[in-house]
Amino acid sequence: MIEVSGSLKRRLAVWLLVTVTGLGALLMVEAWWSSRRAAERAFDSQLEAAALTIAEAVQWQHGDPVVTIPAAALQILATRHQERVFYAVLDAEGDAVSTNLPFIIAPAWQAHAARAPWALTTTFDGTSWRLYGREYDSAGWVSQEPVQIWVGHTREGRVALADELFERSVSRFVAMVLLAGVLMAMALRVALGPMRRLRRQLRLREADDTRPLDARVPEEMRELAQTLDHLFARQRESREALLRFTADASHQLKTPLAGLQSVSELALKSPEPADWHAALGAVHDGAERTSRLAGQLLSLARLRHVAEAGEVAPLDLAALLRETLLDWAGREAARDHDLGLDELPPGPCLVRAEAWALRELLGNLIDNALRYTPPGSTITLGLACEAEAVELYVEDDGPGVPAEARERLLRPFERGGRQDTDGSGLGLAIVDSIARRLDGRLSLAERDPHGLIVRLRLPRCSDDETGRNV
Amino acid sequence: MRSGRRVVKWFVGGLLALSLGLGGVASAQTATPLVVEAALDRSVVEPLLDAFRDAHPEIALDFRDRSTLEVDDLVASADPPPDVVISSAMPWQMARINEGRARRLDSAEARQWPDWAKWRDEVFGFTFEPIVMAYRLDLSRRMLPPQTHADLHTLLTTEREALAGKVTTYSPLGSGVGYTLFQQDARYTPRFWDLVAGMGRVDAHLENSTRAMLEGLSDGRYWLGYNLLGSYAMVWAQDHPEVIVQVPQDYALVLMRMAFVHRDAPHPAAAEAFLDFLLSHAGQRVLAGDTPLFSVRPDVIGPYTAQRLRDQVGERLYPIPLNASLLAFVDPQRRDAFLARWRREFRRDD
Repeated sequence: MIEVSGSLKRRLAVWLLVTVTGLGALLMVEAWWSSRRAAERAFDSQLEAAALTIAEAVQWQHGDPVVTIPAAALQILATRHQERVFYAVLDAEGDAVSTNLPFIIAPAWQAHAARAPWALTTTFDGTSWRLYGREYDSAGWVSQEPVQIWVGHTREGRVALADELFERSVSRFVAMVLLAGVLMAMALRVALGPMRRLRRQLRLREADDTRPLDARVPEEMRELAQTLDHLFARQRESREALLRFTADASHQLKTPLAGLQSVSELALKSPEPADWHAALGAVHDGAERTSRLAGQLLSLARLRHVAEAGEVAPLDLAALLRETLLDWAGREAARDHDLGLDELPPGPCLVRAEAWALRELLGNLIDNALRYTPPGSTITLGLACEAEAVELYVEDDGPGVPAEARERLLRPFERGGRQDTDGSGLGLAIVDSIARRLDGRLSLAERDPHGLIVRLRLPRCSDDETGRNV
Repeated sequence: MRSGRRVVKWFVGGLLALSLGLGGVASAQTATPLVVEAALDRSVVEPLLDAFRDAHPEIALDFRDRSTLEVDDLVASADPPPDVVISSAMPWQMARINEGRARRLDSAEARQWPDWAKWRDEVFGFTFEPIVMAYRLDLSRRMLPPQTHADLHTLLTTEREALAGKVTTYSPLGSGVGYTLFQQDARYTPRFWDLVAGMGRVDAHLENSTRAMLEGLSDGRYWLGYNLLGSYAMVWAQDHPEVIVQVPQDYALVLMRMAFVHRDAPHPAAAEAFLDFLLSHAGQRVLAGDTPLFSVRPDVIGPYTAQRLRDQVGERLYPIPLNASLLAFVDPQRRDAFLARWRREFRRDD
């Protein structure tokens, strides 16, 4: 049973959604970081420019650095977002030469900036600030000491820019997903088109139409179409076989019934009660044969059409074989034959099969052997137990069957070219059906020097399985 | 000094209480108090305050008129802090904004206020006051009155004896406004220092307020004043025909009074209502019609609007930019350097 509920489209959509959501989440995290980074970079360059402008304005007077803060530097610092701005010029000792806000530049930061220009984000007065520090060499006549320029501004512009960039990434991504979704839906529709057409074609098909499909399908569905064609071919074959079987069965039933009719007609014309008696005897025999024929037809039909058997308990084939043989040995039909049993293997030979099916099978094989061998023939039944399989055989020393006829024997109403018996030709067909039903393999072989061996191999079921099932 | 200011405070407070009582504001007891510390002459701004009281009877306005430096000091030191701070000392106001002392005003009026007249949506330049020269009629009888900065410089050179002791201007040390104006002048041209030197040669008197200069002109002590607040000077000239106001014809600086709501304002709602009123059409119309402070809004019509001034004076008006560059003016080293240069040029011996 294939368990695929819901539509293929929905499955595809769900997978797509899961994939896109997962990927999207990753992309969004990345976009968030990169927009923050981009904003920081953009605004840090403004800090750098402002620091440079202030550095230009540092001059030495009487051994002290003097800064005339350029208004442009403050404008650069403020940016178009009108940030609050901070600047500090520190001398070599870290004391502020000039500053506009009482922020403390930690010695660690100064050490950092002394090595290389350094930007950091920190909090002053509950507001987030971005600071940038850089050391500049400067020299006057009296002293030559480096100064550190620290500039900074609040981060409103950065946050706004980052949010804007992020928002843009998100909207781009959402638009892309929506577009991809629409395209995907359209592609899905186009791709599933052949399947829809195939479905329509199958739906419109007549019940008895077994012609191959007339459909050009994509590679992925070619196998399905071929399988369907194959199925149709098999259906056709089986339907034809059924019709043939019905025709044959009718024909077979017609012959004895015609016989009965002619016998009874003759008897009716005769005024002699003795003729009536003889005719009645003939009618009786004919009716018995017909009844048996009908019975065999019935069991064949049942075997072929009964649904798959459910779980069955294992049974010992050896015991069944012995019991069946005893039954047949006592019958009238076996009077003239030597019906015997080879030595059976020790211990039980277990197979998974219904007892009635095996009895029917054995009965048919024995019946066949009795019918198609001359009186006095030896018929031997035997059993061989192997690890995985059980082989049951029935051999006789009769005339045997020519190799070319053997295959046909398994078909209904086939008598191997023999018209000298009153057999119906259904026996081996029934045996074959049962063998198939039990997953067995039936084979016919010639016996040396003459005669026929019918072998049936059945899968053996192990002892511990028995224990569990019993 | 400290106790002296407290005495002034008490005195002003008493006066205010008295005036409120006389004004007959019946709901004063239940009204929300609102303290406005302003460097803005009460006599000039009274019509605006009256209009506000009419529009907001539920607010008991306490308008305290002080000098720019006092106002700036109170922003940091007053406890409780004032609700609204108004001052024409633009760099100091900007420095207070940069310190984070202001509360952002989030209102329709604030949003549509012109970008060039606001900063961070925290501080708003709500007036548009040209900086002018003023002279006595006596001067015009003796010489051709100056119309440009160059004229003034020429006059200071050619009429040195006649003008000795008769010229007045702001003291850059004593007045924030004066210092700001000189800084801005110096940014435009280095020839400004020649002007300073010229004023030094005629022993110009340095005053701390426009009012003092105008009084001097009316008294006859001064003949010529440089860098006066046009708003005060124009009102003065109306009552004092001997004083002539001249908007410089080369360039005229424009000063804006900057107002902001204090971050720790005890009555933020009332403060925001006051600022909103200042920026509103109604408030600006009073400004344009009943005060000489000049309205910034282009949609207001009246005798005193930035638009009308532009029409009269042309495009030679140069508002002091309301942006972060103002912060440079209050940098102590830059200020020291500027004042040192000023003293050097003023006392230049040539």
